[in-house]
Amino acid sequence: MAPLSIQGVRKSFGSVEVLNNIDIELEDGGFLVLLGPSGCGKSTLLAIVAGLEPSSGGDVVIGDRNVNNVHPKDRNIAMVFQSYALYPTMSVKRNIGFGLEMRKVPEAEREAGVRKAAKLLQIEHLLERKPGQLSGGQRQRVAMGRAIVRDPDLFLFDEPLSNLDAKLRVEMRTEIKRLHDRLGTTTVYVTHDQIEAMTLGTKVAVMKNGVIQQFADPQTIYERPANMFVAGFIGTPTMNFLEGTLEQAEGGLVLRHAGGSLGLGGIEQEVGSFVRKPVVAGIRPETFTAAAGSASTLSGKVDVVEPTGPDTMVILDVGGQMMTARLGSRDRPRLGDPMTLGIDMRAVNLFDPQSGNRI
Amino acid sequence: MSRTSYSATSSAPLSVWDAINPVRMLGELSETRYWMYVLLLPSALLITAVVLYPTLYGMQMSFREMRLNRPDLGTDWVGSKHYARMLADPIFWVSLRNTAVWATSSIVLEFVIGLIAALALNRNLPGTKMLAVVILLPYFLPNVVAGHMWALMLDPRLGVINDVLVRLGWLDSYKAWFADPATAMAAAIVVETWHSFPFFTLLIMAGLKSIPSDLYKAADIDGAGPLAQLRLITLPMLKTIIAAAVILRVIGLVNSPDLLLILTSGGPGRSTQVLSLYAFQMAYKDFNFGYAGALSVVMFVLLMGFAYIYIRLAKVNQD
Repeated sequence: MAPLSIQGVRKSFGSVEVLNNIDIELEDGGFLVLLGPSGCGKSTLLAIVAGLEPSSGGDVVIGDRNVNNVHPKDRNIAMVFQSYALYPTMSVKRNIGFGLEMRKVPEAEREAGVRKAAKLLQIEHLLERKPGQLSGGQRQRVAMGRAIVRDPDLFLFDEPLSNLDAKLRVEMRTEIKRLHDRLGTTTVYVTHDQIEAMTLGTKVAVMKNGVIQQFADPQTIYERPANMFVAGFIGTPTMNFLEGTLEQAEGGLVLRHAGGSLGLGGIEQEVGSFVRKPVVAGIRPETFTAAAGSASTLSGKVDVVEPTGPDTMVILDVGGQMMTARLGSRDRPRLGDPMTLGIDMRAVNLFDPQSGNRI
Repeated sequence: MSRTSYSATSSAPLSVWDAINPVRMLGELSETRYWMYVLLLPSALLITAVVLYPTLYGMQMSFREMRLNRPDLGTDWVGSKHYARMLADPIFWVSLRNTAVWATSSIVLEFVIGLIAALALNRNLPGTKMLAVVILLPYFLPNVVAGHMWALMLDPRLGVINDVLVRLGWLDSYKAWFADPATAMAAAIVVETWHSFPFFTLLIMAGLKSIPSDLYKAADIDGAGPLAQLRLITLPMLKTIIAAAVILRVIGLVNSPDLLLILTSGGPGRSTQVLSLYAFQMAYKDFNFGYAGALSVVMFVLLMGFAYIYIRLAKVNQD
């Protein structure tokens, strides 16, 4: 176990810059999730940490050791690949013990290590099989076994769950979480799945076009997104963006929008300098309430009603802007009816539409 | 909709012409499971005519007397006479030994050089595409052309290789490589290797492309060096391709006398006499087709045995 420090890391392929000045500090035992859409540079950053890809600048420090010029095998890391990268011609046992074998660990010790890892991952009965004879979930476990058997300073996961079906993905996510809680190894985890990021990470770095958009704990990322990209990327259904102009009314600040005006009482942002300027209110679907008794309300026409079981998603047409509200399963408004929804303004974020940043 | 209209047509009464229309009958046959046999028929007939029949004819010939220059002996059934003669024929045993040396040395050299070339070309560095074409060139040359070219280059009077070696000081004087029993086989093997190693390069390159790069990344992290990666990942993953390439090359080397025919004709003495060449000369120089047939049958059986044992040892069918 060791802390990880990424300092000013850059990477460019020719004139294309894929990573721009990345700074990340991860505490010993932390779980860092690199989150972003395809092509944002998250996997490249992981490859640089692993030493599989040279950086164009900056430093990677594992523990108190700068590993810029250290070969992957000497970084004391272990990696789980999206493709699992199990050696097809070797048995599961040899796959798991391969790192130890290459490090000339005595056979008895190796055997004990493999047994222990296999027991932890409940794959003891598969040890003599070849990877080709395993299911996707079993291969995933073997890949994890290969990582944990070496007791490394750092675990690296490169989209490890994206080749699994939905049910197995949830199971393995829990498994990874349990493993991290038990082993406490510092972990870097690359994914484009925001649920994985929220559930697993102690820290999340949301990336876009090679730049870190926000680096914070999952709660902060969700509740106080740094900009509209982060706000829109995290959460399903996505955050609603209500465009309008900030104005000073009698009762306080209001957001004047095409479908009326929204009182901003209770908002936890200092927005005085934006009066008479366009702003965007970011409203999560669950901050709406069907009870219209609240101080701030939005009115519109019911456009779509989607019951999902536990919730009912209502899409409201508010002066031409579509707002999705997550309401209780018993709320079943009728299509085309007018509807007024209350909003918990403490959970609303205001953004500057020019820069996209949170005000 | 379309289903209804289909059954409507097929249940309509057939006209006389429809019933005997060959195109229509063929169309109906193509809907049945016998269609497979119809499609296989042309190639089956062809193989029977040009492979199966000559093979069987050759086999029965090996049990007959058949000397074109001794018609007085007739073409009677002689049983295992030719095979008995073979056991006592010193040239047969020399040829057998030479065949083993010829095939084994060539295969080993071709494989090693082919593998090295394939690994180098697989790196995708600038210029590798061009180099790949250059490296594959020898294989595109017909054996006859390659043979004559090398015969000229190794010529004892005007060969460029002798010239270079003398100038380098590695040789005192020009050497007749194919006239010395000590060097003839080795020189022929060099020519053969030069000509055919691209076959291995080509197949191994195709195999290398199918190995996922993640395996090498994982091996890097696991601490496997380049040699360990070659031994534990690359070669095991190429096993099937290598096995196929080796079998094809062994068959080619054992069966084709052309290169040796051009370079040495089996000489000097019997130092480069191999089975295929011996059988060829027996048939077309001595016109003893019976004995030549027996030699061919022995080669056939040896190759079948080799392929069987090799596939078992290589465990190609596993994983």
